[in-house]
Amino acid sequence: MMHCTMDDLLALRAGEGSAWARQHAAGCAACRAELEALYQRVAQLKALPARRPARDRWPAVRDGVLAERRRRRGRWGVSGLAAAAALAGLLVFRPFWSKPVDAAELARVKQQSATLEQQLQRYDPDGRVTSGRSAALAAALEDRIAVIDGELAQLGPSRAQARPADLVTLWQQRVELMEQLMSVHVTRAAYVGL
Amino acid sequence: MTISLAVPDILVARAKSGDLEALEALYRAFETPVYNLALRVLRRPEDAEDVLQETFLEVVRSIKQYRGEGHLWGWIRQIATSKALMRIRHDRVRETEELHEESVVGAGAGAGAGEMAGVGVIGASAGMSPGSVPAQIDLERAFERLSETSRAVVWLHDVEGYTHEEIAEQMGKTVSFSKSQLARAHVRLRRMLDEGVAQ
Repeated sequence: MMHCTMDDLLALRAGEGSAWARQHAAGCAACRAELEALYQRVAQLKALPARRPARDRWPAVRDGVLAERRRRRGRWGVSGLAAAAALAGLLVFRPFWSKPVDAAELARVKQQSATLEQQLQRYDPDGRVTSGRSAALAAALEDRIAVIDGELAQLGPSRAQARPADLVTLWQQRVELMEQLMSVHVTRAAYVGL
Repeated sequence: MTISLAVPDILVARAKSGDLEALEALYRAFETPVYNLALRVLRRPEDAEDVLQETFLEVVRSIKQYRGEGHLWGWIRQIATSKALMRIRHDRVRETEELHEESVVGAGAGAGAGEMAGVGVIGASAGMSPGSVPAQIDLERAFERLSETSRAVVWLHDVEGYTHEEIAEQMGKTVSFSKSQLARAHVRLRRMLDEGVAQ
């Protein structure tokens, strides 16, 4: 006597069984029992207890996220600096602008930004343990710095000629954010006794 | 396994803006189902933890693309499944596992035409209630002895509710492959349970 195969039973469970399989299962106690066992097995699989990870992987995820953000900021920063340097050259050597940019102020804030970057590197924030609150604050500041770097990178010569003061303003904002970021790291370092 | 996976919209919005606290809250909400899925498919806790980490790195990278169509868990589960299956594809077939499985099941475990699926061989486990502990232990052990591919197909289809079409697409295989893997896996599970694999 031909009985249902597992393919037949799975199709019956899915409501897709052939006419032969439906008819056979209706009249065959063994195949009906096997179909019931299949239902039971699936129900048991669904009822298996949820396993939980032994280790907390969130710190690793968070560190990965922050590292990616820093890399992104670094990319924007390099291109931003290059663009800003080009624009600064244009601004200084184009005397016909109606409202010349304060080249000295631009140079000052750029130097200030570079100094802060160096100080931040010395703290090596990637290599330190940090609290979730500090990490969140630092990440928010880094995001805002990345936005400014993006604006610096995208500030074309035509826009800079039209609004030369924007360049200085952006650099000033960048310095302010860098100072806040330094403050977060320094405060945390002091708090943990580093 | 019953876990509440409801997430407030405001939390998703904050996560999309890059808020680390919101992202951690999402991680806490979904770490168990993601880990559980990966563990059931891959079996080794360290692999499952790696998939958990890779999944959430991808979630953070891509959450801005989540449009709110469908449940967030469905979107995250898709990423977790993809990461787990990618790990299977990249790993070489573990010969020891396959050999062990074959030794338990014995030759001729296919679900081909003409094979009697269960005549007269309904084991004691079949009569147990789904939640009974001995039945669960037996089934869990038998399930772990399936190959990675079989475990993936069974778990995704029978527990997570994926269709064969969805599994085939995720695995880069055909619908027939998925169906035949499921049938073979159930034949093996039944035989292992009947032969007392837990002993």
